[in-house]
Amino acid sequence: MLEAVLRRLGAALITLILATGVVFLVIRAVPGDAIGEMLGQSAGDPAAEAALRTFFGLDRPIWSQYLAWAGDLLRGDLGISMRQGMPVAGIVFDAFLVTLEIGLATLAFAILLGVPLGLAAGARPGGIADMAVEGFTLIGLSAPVFWTGMVLLILADAWLGWAPPLVYTPPDISLSDNLEGILLPVLALGLLQAAAYAQFTRQQSAALLRQDFVRAAAARGLPWRVVFGRHVLRNIAIPLVTYAGLILVQILGGVVVVETLFGIPGLGRTLLAAVQGRDYPVLQGALLLSVVVALLVNLLIDLAYALIDPRVRGA
Amino acid sequence: MPYPMIDRRTALLAGAALLGTRPALAQAAADALYGPDDAGARRGGTLTVAIANEPPNLDPFHQAGDARTAVTVLMYQGLMYEHASGTAKPLLAETMAVSDDGLTYTFALRRGVRFHTGQPMTAADVKYSYDYVRNPSNGSPGAADFGAIAGIETPDDHTVVIRLSEPNASLPMTLTNRFGCVVPRDTFANPQARTRLSQQSVGTGPFMLQEFRPQSHIRMARFANYWQSGQPYLDGILFSVQPNAASVLVALRSRRVDLALLARPQDAEQLQGQAGLAINAAPSLRQCSLDLDCNHAQLRDPRVRRAIALSIDKHAVMQAAIGGKGKVLGTIPAAMQESWGAPIDTLPNQRPDAARARALLAEAGLADGFAMDLVSIIGFEWMDPAAVTIAQQLAPLGIRLNIQRVELGVWLNAFRTRNMRFTFNDWGTQPDPHILYYRHFHGAPRGADFRNWNNAEADRLLDAGMATPDPAKRKEAYVAFQRVMDESVPTVMLYSPDLVTVAQARVRNYVQHPTGWWFGLAKAWIAA
Amino acid sequence: MRPRLMLLIGCALCAAFLVISLAPGLFAGPPDAVAVARRLEAPSAQFWFGTDESGRDVYARVIHGAGTTLGIVGAAIAIAGLAGGGLGALAGFAGRLPDLALSRMADALLAFPPIILGVVLASTLGSGAVNSVLALSIIYVPVFYRVARAAALMESGRAYVEAARTLGHGEAAVLLRHVLRNVAPVVALQGVILFPLALQIQAALGFLGLGVPPPTPDWGASLQESRNYLTVAPWLATFPGLALLLAALAASLLGRALQARSG
Repeated sequence: MLEAVLRRLGAALITLILATGVVFLVIRAVPGDAIGEMLGQSAGDPAAEAALRTFFGLDRPIWSQYLAWAGDLLRGDLGISMRQGMPVAGIVFDAFLVTLEIGLATLAFAILLGVPLGLAAGARPGGIADMAVEGFTLIGLSAPVFWTGMVLLILADAWLGWAPPLVYTPPDISLSDNLEGILLPVLALGLLQAAAYAQFTRQQSAALLRQDFVRAAAARGLPWRVVFGRHVLRNIAIPLVTYAGLILVQILGGVVVVETLFGIPGLGRTLLAAVQGRDYPVLQGALLLSVVVALLVNLLIDLAYALIDPRVRGA
Repeated sequence: MPYPMIDRRTALLAGAALLGTRPALAQAAADALYGPDDAGARRGGTLTVAIANEPPNLDPFHQAGDARTAVTVLMYQGLMYEHASGTAKPLLAETMAVSDDGLTYTFALRRGVRFHTGQPMTAADVKYSYDYVRNPSNGSPGAADFGAIAGIETPDDHTVVIRLSEPNASLPMTLTNRFGCVVPRDTFANPQARTRLSQQSVGTGPFMLQEFRPQSHIRMARFANYWQSGQPYLDGILFSVQPNAASVLVALRSRRVDLALLARPQDAEQLQGQAGLAINAAPSLRQCSLDLDCNHAQLRDPRVRRAIALSIDKHAVMQAAIGGKGKVLGTIPAAMQESWGAPIDTLPNQRPDAARARALLAEAGLADGFAMDLVSIIGFEWMDPAAVTIAQQLAPLGIRLNIQRVELGVWLNAFRTRNMRFTFNDWGTQPDPHILYYRHFHGAPRGADFRNWNNAEADRLLDAGMATPDPAKRKEAYVAFQRVMDESVPTVMLYSPDLVTVAQARVRNYVQHPTGWWFGLAKAWIAA
Repeated sequence: MRPRLMLLIGCALCAAFLVISLAPGLFAGPPDAVAVARRLEAPSAQFWFGTDESGRDVYARVIHGAGTTLGIVGAAIAIAGLAGGGLGALAGFAGRLPDLALSRMADALLAFPPIILGVVLASTLGSGAVNSVLALSIIYVPVFYRVARAAALMESGRAYVEAARTLGHGEAAVLLRHVLRNVAPVVALQGVILFPLALQIQAALGFLGLGVPPPTPDWGASLQESRNYLTVAPWLATFPGLALLLAALAASLLGRALQARSG
């Protein structure tokens, strides 16, 4: 067990080193750098340009820049943003909290809507509820999530005459403003993820219903409600919980465009701004964080399975 | 026109500036800094301003972007102020004297000025700040502008003497609020200075920085020890960062913000008839233009460049790009046309003329036309419809444009390395012809000549304009320069988009500065 | 829904999109006819989907946009499938060091959220149709790689491959004949499944301005242009988005049906 965990951790670490190396190389291959934005069209003095490049360490070879960055990282220092002049750790952490709020709210919505739909569909495969839920999942998974957001904006204006503030207010300043600001992005993301959840739940419950012990219970003449409640619901809980982790990772990675549309200063928009502004330290820090979170969640899911399912424990 | 074309307040302001040229009324001119005073102003309150273009940081020494300058002018001040009338007026200086040879400028500093840090401003701070900017190894984008300065002396705590290596009539305008800010001496001796400037301001301006949260807001508070007593009227300003133009409109409609400058002037249409919103349009110093790299393919031939200029209908481009809400340009931005511009109708190449264009192209041996990329920048929305329109306008000439979109970072890189090809550009200036033209169009190494124009006649006229202190003679030189530009076409200035400000009814006494920067907030107030 | 019905509807929709993409001229007029006089007109008998900011026919732009949008996604999936599938088969069959190296690289790429990878790649490569294809295909190479590798691993353990080896066939011949033949259908199915996902990334890149340059009609780019008129002219956002939804739906239906068939 311990050995398996260590092996997974080792693999995750190698992935991490490779991933940071890749991003280090790729982003520096993008033409232009943060200094271009600082100088704008005022540039003309090569000495000023060279001085800035030296100041930010951009004149050193890439491998040396990478080693310096990795060295700082081991000391817990993510560096200073080239564009904003502020510590990357703070920028990235603030953004992550915002995205996490959206992610958790989305997850709650997706579970509250998706799981009952999936169970309703799974209880009677081929029934009307099943068809309806299948329609919902097909459309929900096919609609681009930022387009869903745009449609929600249009509908809110047309039906309610309401336009949400397209800026984010932190909950500690005003909870009501905060909720008003994240309502539509959470709905847009939530509809997509609820569709995913409904589909997953339906598959799981349909698979359980095909299992021998469930069939046997039904054959023994137990009422359908009891069979479903005792055998399906109890056994479906664990995969559903682990699925939540996967969905959360997906949300954290997929919110870029939604955050752009709704003006949410989350991790996605921070990443986007860092790419566009060639803010290497922020980009590296933000990507590092999202990769670490994804790896951690995956690891936890595997561990959860290992703890629950004795067959996996040996593997 | 759905809204008044002439901003009454700007007209008023220009009047005040004219009066100010008489010595007896010098005080009136000083009062007109940033906008008119208002004896009936109510003090207090926080004004919320929407900004769609967020500054990456608030460092007035290391950030060229307009988004930075737009807000830092409220926190940092230079010796001079770029008055809406187009002249530089004393700001932190009280008076300015120029020696007869035009090489020595003596400034008497305003007394009783304090920095946000609490310490009083002295000549040593001014010397430190300007020595810092002009030293290229400090990496300031303003370094080139300050290149004419040979040395700075401080005979006493309240006098600064700036010596030039050659006469430069634009020095006063250089010492204004874009790169000419004064900060306490040794500000950058602290290695954390750049980080600190995004957390606290150290200038002398009417507002001080309270909080800067990227992608969210910038909060400023009234500076209690501001040197101009009784100013500013507001207790604070909250700049709310908006993700795009559409969200600015939403915020205005739902009264979540008090004031905004529309990134797309045509959006004013969508706000028409909205009760309680005052919409105001004024000419700007910004220009949307088409740049021609004179070292690029067919553009090497001036006849080809002129043929292109003669094929472009600027009115149609402006109509497509911004719904016609701007001023079509000749060879200078709209807000400078009257003071410094060559009259557009006297320029021979400003009106579309298909026959002449075709003849020029045939003369250049390109009667059958050619194909070329037209570069537009991602995120500059006006460029897309403008590109499509220009492609259509050049098609009859046989010029087949292939529109290429690049990111701003990539574009800036190409621009600075003088490899811009055939591209759109969008830039602003302070209201001085030297600052506008010299770096962009004078040959290297004195200018940057981004367009590889390499035009000796233009260089000569730009040098003459720089060295001549007499305004009338200066204008002559710049008008002659504009004629060269019209003939040789290193750039086609298309139009200046109107500065359209939208304010809730409770916002009073806000006057939009032609730079598009937020100077006016220093004089604005909120009605009860 | 029964797999048969899904297959039928999916195939019909896919066929319709294919025809529209290949011959948009049959269904709509030119997409670039600018007429400022009739800008932002609501849908009508003349302009079914209304007109945009420059007075262009939104219906024509949606129809002509099909070729751009679906062409880019299709080409990207094909390239990624070939490259990722080939590498995956190789790694699964060869094992040892090549497998280890390739798998770690794939893991590293998969660690990034696809849209972020897309933005970085699109910024690096620059905008334009060809670069969009490249960026999208790089995103999906590791996904195909994993699927193909797993399939190849399974196949190479099978008795018939062992048998082929002992019979003295060269490694390359074995790989080609047996493994690829069995890996290919898995990769093809994966392509259909990934199509709607890749479509959404392509649309998102277009929305962020990193897609094809104007005046080429593209659904994602149209959505970007619609943003300034969301409540004034909602049809600008509605129809290109519906087109995206339908195209993704077509691929999803096809994918589900095929998945159900192959078990």
